[in-house]
Amino acid sequence: MASTQHVLLSPAELAYLHAALSLTPPIRPDGRAPAQFRPLVAETGILPGTNGSARICFADGTEAIVGVKAEVERTRLVDGATAGTEWKEGGSARGEGEDDDGGDKAGDSDWVELTVEIPGYRDDDAGTAFLAAMLSEALLADGAFAKRLWINRRFHWKLYLDVLLISPPLSYPLPLLSLTTHLALLATRLPRLKSEGDEDPFFDDDWAAARHLFPRSSSSTTKESARPPVTLLVMAVGNNIIFDPAKEELAVADVALAVSVAEDTTAAATTAATMDLDDAAAPAARSLRLLSIRTIDPPSRLTPPGVPNAANSAYGATTAQKQPEARTAEAEAVEGVWRAPRGGAKPLVMAALVQKVLEKGGVADEILDALDAVDLG
Amino acid sequence: MPLDTSAYSLALLRVDGRRWNELRRIHAQIRTQAAADGSSYLEIGHTKVMCVVTGPSEPGSRRGAIGSTGGGVGGGAVGGGAAQSKGAEVAVSIVIAGFSSVDRKRTARGDKRILELQSTISNALAASLHTHLFPHSAINISLHVLSQDGSLLAALINAATLACVDAGIPMTDYVAACTAGSTSTYAANDEAADPLLDLNHQEEQELPGLTVATLGGSDRVAVLVCESRVQVSRLEGMLAVGVDGCKQVREILDRVVREKGRRMVQEGTVEKGVGLNDMDVD
Repeated sequence: MASTQHVLLSPAELAYLHAALSLTPPIRPDGRAPAQFRPLVAETGILPGTNGSARICFADGTEAIVGVKAEVERTRLVDGATAGTEWKEGGSARGEGEDDDGGDKAGDSDWVELTVEIPGYRDDDAGTAFLAAMLSEALLADGAFAKRLWINRRFHWKLYLDVLLISPPLSYPLPLLSLTTHLALLATRLPRLKSEGDEDPFFDDDWAAARHLFPRSSSSTTKESARPPVTLLVMAVGNNIIFDPAKEELAVADVALAVSVAEDTTAAATTAATMDLDDAAAPAARSLRLLSIRTIDPPSRLTPPGVPNAANSAYGATTAQKQPEARTAEAEAVEGVWRAPRGGAKPLVMAALVQKVLEKGGVADEILDALDAVDLG
Repeated sequence: MPLDTSAYSLALLRVDGRRWNELRRIHAQIRTQAAADGSSYLEIGHTKVMCVVTGPSEPGSRRGAIGSTGGGVGGGAVGGGAAQSKGAEVAVSIVIAGFSSVDRKRTARGDKRILELQSTISNALAASLHTHLFPHSAINISLHVLSQDGSLLAALINAATLACVDAGIPMTDYVAACTAGSTSTYAANDEAADPLLDLNHQEEQELPGLTVATLGGSDRVAVLVCESRVQVSRLEGMLAVGVDGCKQVREILDRVVREKGRRMVQEGTVEKGVGLNDMDVD
């Protein structure tokens, strides 16, 4: 599914939408505030056959389900190494018991496999592949995620994330899929390891003892409260920054960005330590870290331009106008006449977009708080 | 793990504790999703299926994307050139989620088994839906398999029927489906073999079985699929049990639809129509 999904809007409608969204404050077709998400319904643990699963329904009816399955896989050796002599980390000289310092745990990006299924689109469709790439890129950006899948020097978990869009794609599904993936990963549990060191892994068969992939500890919020990233869709119209655009809004966007953010656990730990005298709200203030940015090609670039009345023969203004003159008339901007945005985004706008996402108490904060409230079963 | 058939003859109980003529728990919901024209969710035991129906709508815009994957059947007697057909085209696409089975397995879209399932469902529904009322249009049924534990085709047919009811597409009656099997394998020649109703995955692996779908309360068989070798003398018994099971399934589906309808009337989502007079709304 491409972001350049055709929206059947006339140039006049596009111009109206664009004008409404460029006002201060912008007026969105569905009456939301510029930084307001669509309301959503979320649940986790819907599929007992998976390690973790989640389902999110947006108010506009789009729905996604993510299932996570984990398998134990043998870690590939470095080229040329014979079995049993040298492992990937090159740590054969290390003794047992040194593993839990975390220093020699290294992850590999092919320990995670993410697939996206959009009904009606082939799985090798360019748009679907791009969505999958964006989602997995955000996950693997800092390498910390793959590290969690480390079992010992010889084995690791291989995580399969299957992202299913259930409803027809009514709007660009990136935020929906990202939030659902986030929730499914939060709910993911892996069996507790019973074996020690580098022996063949042996797990506790009690599911109640299984550990969360992202442990949630309510007591020490600063130490072990890392969470998977979220990818947000942000767009700009004129000087306005709009979050979670609907299909019609995306159709008039000047710029659209997919911004992936995650909680910065290290920074949060240090700030909380330094300003513990501040107030009780210190742990609530999380610091966000930018993981990746992708520009999304908005469908607005492919929309047909409007014709100003001055150049419109139906209005009889200049009926005798010739073709070349009409082309110049189209090139200059006329108030209230739709013109597809041309050229790249202004650096200032891009910076403002990213700034707005990372803002303290902003949308990303709000979403992470909201997803925190979901019962993980 | 092989199914211990000797244990069955001792207590007449199957591996999951059912008797020969018992269905698993069937739980269904309709109108699960606001954006679709029709939608449903169905569980038979641990088999979980979701269905979303779009249409009847103008075919076209997404034809290129769907035509290559969906098993479409032209409505009525006209097959093939669906755009020119007199009736609506029923296009079914099935997505089997990678996490649906015990071991994670990724099924390619062009998988022959999925294509066969698609065309079976498409044929069965095209015969039951009044497709001739919607010429030059398409009904897209997309099915998502979330969890598999046997009787997959039956679950898919039932879910598709419910979603079509929700979409308000006129149809002659429910197409209710169910599976049936026999306790003895093809090779074993025991005469005392019992027919079994509603096979789970384990039984499906071990025993001969068939999927049967009937049209409403009648005995008219709409779908009959048998993928295993079975002695012909057992077929009649299996079919009888299967058809009987379909009647039970139809009752369950009917109850789900009526329950939802009653709730929608009570909530005032829809007005109580003339046709609803015989429905006791309390």
